[in-house]
Amino acid sequence: MHFFVQELVNGLTQGALYALLALGYSMVYGVLKLLNFAHGDIYMVGAFIGYFVLQWFGGPGALSAPVPIVILVMFLLASGGCGLLGVVIERFAYRPLRDAPRIAPLITALGVSFFLENTALLLWGASYRSYSTSSFISFSTGIHAGPLQIDVVRIMIIVLSVILMLGLRVLVDRTSLGKQMRAVAADREAAEMLGINVDFTISATFFIGSALAGVGGVMAGLVFNTVYSYMGFVAGLYAFTAAVVGGIGSIAGAVVGGFAIGIAQSMITGYVSSTYTNLLVFGILIVVMLLRPSGLLGRVQLQKV
Amino acid sequence: MASEDVRAGGLAGEPKDPSPAGLQDPGVTGPREPSVGVDEWVARSAQRRTYAPGRLGDAQRRLERVGWWPRLLAVAVLAAVIPQLGLNQFQLQIGINALLLSILAVGLNVAVGWAGLLDLGYIAFYGFGAYGFALLSSNQLSASGIHLQAWESIPIVMVGGAILGLIVGFPSRRLIGDYLAIVTLFFGEAFVEFTNNVAPSKLGGPNGIFGLDPIRAFGTQILTNTGYFYLLLVLLVLSIAVLRLLDTSRTGRAWRAVREDPLAASLMTIPVNRVKLMAFAFGAMVAAMAGAVYAAQQTSVFPTDFDTPVLILIYAGLILGGAGSLAGAVLGAVVIEITYDGLLRSPTWAGAIFYVLILLTLVVKLRPWRRLAGVLGGTVALGFAAHAIAKAISASAVAGGPQSGGIIHDALVNWVIVPANSAGNIPTGPGNAGFIVLIALVIALAQLRGRWRTILMVPTLYLAACVWEMRLVGTPSTTRLILIGAILIVMMNARPQGLLGSRRVEVV
Amino acid sequence: MAVRRITIVAAVLSALIAAGCGSSSNNNNSTSSSGGSSTTASTGGGSKSCTASIGIEAPLTGPVAVLGQEQLAFAKMAIKQDNAANHTNIQLVQGDTQLTPSQAVTVTQQFVSNSSIVGVVGPAGSQEVEAVGPIFGRAGVPFISGSATNPTLTSSGKNPTFFRVVSRDDVQGPQDANWIISHLHPKALMIVDDQEVYSTGLVSAMMPIFQKAGIKVDHESVSQKVTDFSSLVAKVTPQTTVVVLPWQVAANGEQFGKNLAEQHKNATIVGTDGLFSPSAFTIPGSYVSSFGPDITAIPSDASIVAQAKVAFPKFGTFGPPVYAATHVLDDAIATACKSGSPSRSSVLSAVKATDESTSILGQPIKFDSKGDLVGAKWFLFKINSAGKYQLVTG
Repeated sequence: MHFFVQELVNGLTQGALYALLALGYSMVYGVLKLLNFAHGDIYMVGAFIGYFVLQWFGGPGALSAPVPIVILVMFLLASGGCGLLGVVIERFAYRPLRDAPRIAPLITALGVSFFLENTALLLWGASYRSYSTSSFISFSTGIHAGPLQIDVVRIMIIVLSVILMLGLRVLVDRTSLGKQMRAVAADREAAEMLGINVDFTISATFFIGSALAGVGGVMAGLVFNTVYSYMGFVAGLYAFTAAVVGGIGSIAGAVVGGFAIGIAQSMITGYVSSTYTNLLVFGILIVVMLLRPSGLLGRVQLQKV
Repeated sequence: MASEDVRAGGLAGEPKDPSPAGLQDPGVTGPREPSVGVDEWVARSAQRRTYAPGRLGDAQRRLERVGWWPRLLAVAVLAAVIPQLGLNQFQLQIGINALLLSILAVGLNVAVGWAGLLDLGYIAFYGFGAYGFALLSSNQLSASGIHLQAWESIPIVMVGGAILGLIVGFPSRRLIGDYLAIVTLFFGEAFVEFTNNVAPSKLGGPNGIFGLDPIRAFGTQILTNTGYFYLLLVLLVLSIAVLRLLDTSRTGRAWRAVREDPLAASLMTIPVNRVKLMAFAFGAMVAAMAGAVYAAQQTSVFPTDFDTPVLILIYAGLILGGAGSLAGAVLGAVVIEITYDGLLRSPTWAGAIFYVLILLTLVVKLRPWRRLAGVLGGTVALGFAAHAIAKAISASAVAGGPQSGGIIHDALVNWVIVPANSAGNIPTGPGNAGFIVLIALVIALAQLRGRWRTILMVPTLYLAACVWEMRLVGTPSTTRLILIGAILIVMMNARPQGLLGSRRVEVV
Repeated sequence: MAVRRITIVAAVLSALIAAGCGSSSNNNNSTSSSGGSSTTASTGGGSKSCTASIGIEAPLTGPVAVLGQEQLAFAKMAIKQDNAANHTNIQLVQGDTQLTPSQAVTVTQQFVSNSSIVGVVGPAGSQEVEAVGPIFGRAGVPFISGSATNPTLTSSGKNPTFFRVVSRDDVQGPQDANWIISHLHPKALMIVDDQEVYSTGLVSAMMPIFQKAGIKVDHESVSQKVTDFSSLVAKVTPQTTVVVLPWQVAANGEQFGKNLAEQHKNATIVGTDGLFSPSAFTIPGSYVSSFGPDITAIPSDASIVAQAKVAFPKFGTFGPPVYAATHVLDDAIATACKSGSPSRSSVLSAVKATDESTSILGQPIKFDSKGDLVGAKWFLFKINSAGKYQLVTG
């Protein structure tokens, strides 16, 4: 029983990160029908920003400010910085291709991904950087019920992710910006004709999606400690998977997809075999997709004739 | 503006030449772009009527009347001459890689370009072909092994590839668009995991399978790079020929119909599911054939040879060259391979590409000529001035010479500022800072207009040269990837339909 | 439109042909093509009479760039040192393989076609050596690897010009396994491989020994790209006292240890060479076995350590062997220079005859007829509660 809960918590943590990234993917896809392969690298930049904030405050072993303040600053700077980065990328690389066939921005996104990963390698070197979270948040905090050990960082991540996702839901459903986003996602030309500033809406979408990715990056640094320039590549792939499996364009779907993949990975590693984890996860996902062709929570797409 | 319309080709002819990001005016959308709702056939036929004036137009018309097959043979003969030019082993290897990538791009074009199916697991077919050949031509499966001749093993591998293509394409009955893409991606990833972790004694695991036979048939075998070059050239021409025949047949028309509008196609009695499966199967067969020859040339196969980076390369080649066009696929693949694997691996060539691309962009995009001359002259003057001032202030600020070699070094030695510390090493700090400032300047350039843009170009160009000489030349492998990323971004912005692709209207 | 198409095709093809013809002449005067590294390499250069190039094949970009960049930094240091000591003008040509054999083949063809390259350091992975060994053999170019440990590389005879300065899996594996059995007495242990050739080789060497000793072995597997091991750690039972991690990336080992502490499990980590990194892997109570000594503890290596701290602060186990390999090549070139201009065959014979009584690895360097290091030493370290490495045996 404890083993099950432990694996569940591990899966939820990993799943929360996938879900945050998948949200950004889904949002961008919804308004632009674009698969932004550079999203994972924005997450990487967020993780690095958090690392540099830690260093600025004196390093993990000797922080000059109380821990909650440091973490707050990390989140704020990472989300702001990554949001800006996302807006710049959209302006520079994707805006000219808005009317091109959908396959063209795919290559641009790949180009941006190469550029970001290797610029990080050039500027910050190849060594893995470590947050060393245990130096400022000790392992003795958290839930300890006998053999069940859950660290406070993991709890914080799961809670914070859920809060952010709920906040995003509120943003999209209740605010006027959310309404604009939904309008642009439904039909861009009609939205423009109705007086909606499409450029601003798309930039705002990119900002929010990238900010979420940045927050995800800091969280990944806090719980997984290692930060390096290629960490976004694999994470981006899984986030893309989560977004599509959950139903691309659907926010709830991205969340469900992310958690589903995280829990599946964790459970299969724990109960079946770690060697075949990825294979089995892929197999399960193929079956899921065949059973529900528009993703778990996706809307069945109407085809125009 | 009647004359402009005619020149542009009628109703919805060629739009204003899209410029690379950074020099484009995003606020103006020309009324001449093909837009949703306008008939594509009419638009394209209007384009066909525009020729250059005078003798050039006559030559074009005559060239167009030359058939497709003589053109293919002419290109093949030209390519066949290449190994005779006395190339070294490295250049032949690049040629072989380029031909392999071309075959793969041509095969991918069937599913992506013609049938409109995003197949992200294509690399699995390539790997299947390679592993299939490896198992049939080595000692892996038993003590003495299976050692079939190439003319036996390659058809077996191709048939197996077609079957795998049918399996992977099976979800296309229920899934469309990006959902199909993700399932094919799973297959692609699963292949690498499978060959790496499952049955290591039979499939080799991470150790791979090595010690493969070369291509052997009817008493001869191919052992040299030149031999493999010719074999691949023949295979490429054959694939293009077969696929061209398919394209101009009912199958090709069915693919195009399914790409544009599957519902309407099915109403017109086209068996949409079968057509999609055929697209997967043909693409897979071509990839499997390429994989078999690849395995023979390398005499070994490993799981990591078939991972996502190779898939990215094939896609980049296909889309850069123009999806939907056979010639485009080949051209894109060749350009990508020669640039990425060949030229950019050598620091001198990387420098040449860097400077030439910047100069070319300026020359092509900056009009009128006075402006261009002003910018270039200003940059040169700024350089000499800045170098002299920096030298006067502190000798160590210019102590490091430009890190490029050869002519570039001699030309730039009094022009770029490259600091060096007392031990003669070039510190990375200024280079990194300069790089970030350069990116900021380029982004600012993209947002400015008019006079200020022209003025800002001068320091940006100079800073680009300084950062190159200071920092980027010293790390050739990282620079290679940064450059290829930048080239992809710029090329797709400049010509979204690819080098030889045609502008398509997509009904979303 | 047709005009545009033809113009584009013509322009691109003519540019490529010009590039092709140009590069064939360029490859023959490669002193200009080694570009960037010449600044660091030639600062020590004296007489121009001994001029040659050494290639380095390593994963300089890609997911394991951390290993390749460390190797590159140490190779550059070795060349600078030896150029000053031997009055040579050796330059380093970089080749990025991303640890994939197909790219290794391309880079190898590039080096082999470059007539000024007389020796190569690398490639890093055993699978790459398998792919490129015959090519180097045909060209007669000696290549020394600082990290390829698969036994078949030298026993198969397919790689006649291959040498290595590290010990082999079939030597290191049993040594480590026997030490664990005799000193740690585990009843149950978990061994995790990272799906790379190096790791699976060691696991297949160690598993039979553990099983014969009656220890309950839990064999797990995880990809190098994974950075969270909590799901694996949850599988560590209270009876499992030892976890063996024959991994390549030290930071991953550190994270595994952190996950162990987080879930309050008391297993001891035993790592092999890849985990040896005094700055990246410091879990107290762990053991690390390595084919190289802790160079920070050797007084004669102090200047190298000081330079390494600037060039690549978090170095571990991949740098020093590459330093040793580069040094062997540098000395071989210097020897070959004494009898005229260095050629590939003279450098090859000089490498075969290498006989250095001491090296950065704390042992003499001499190769046997197959290319293996003679008398490869083995060092075992324990990490104390302050995170410092202490030599246990070696």
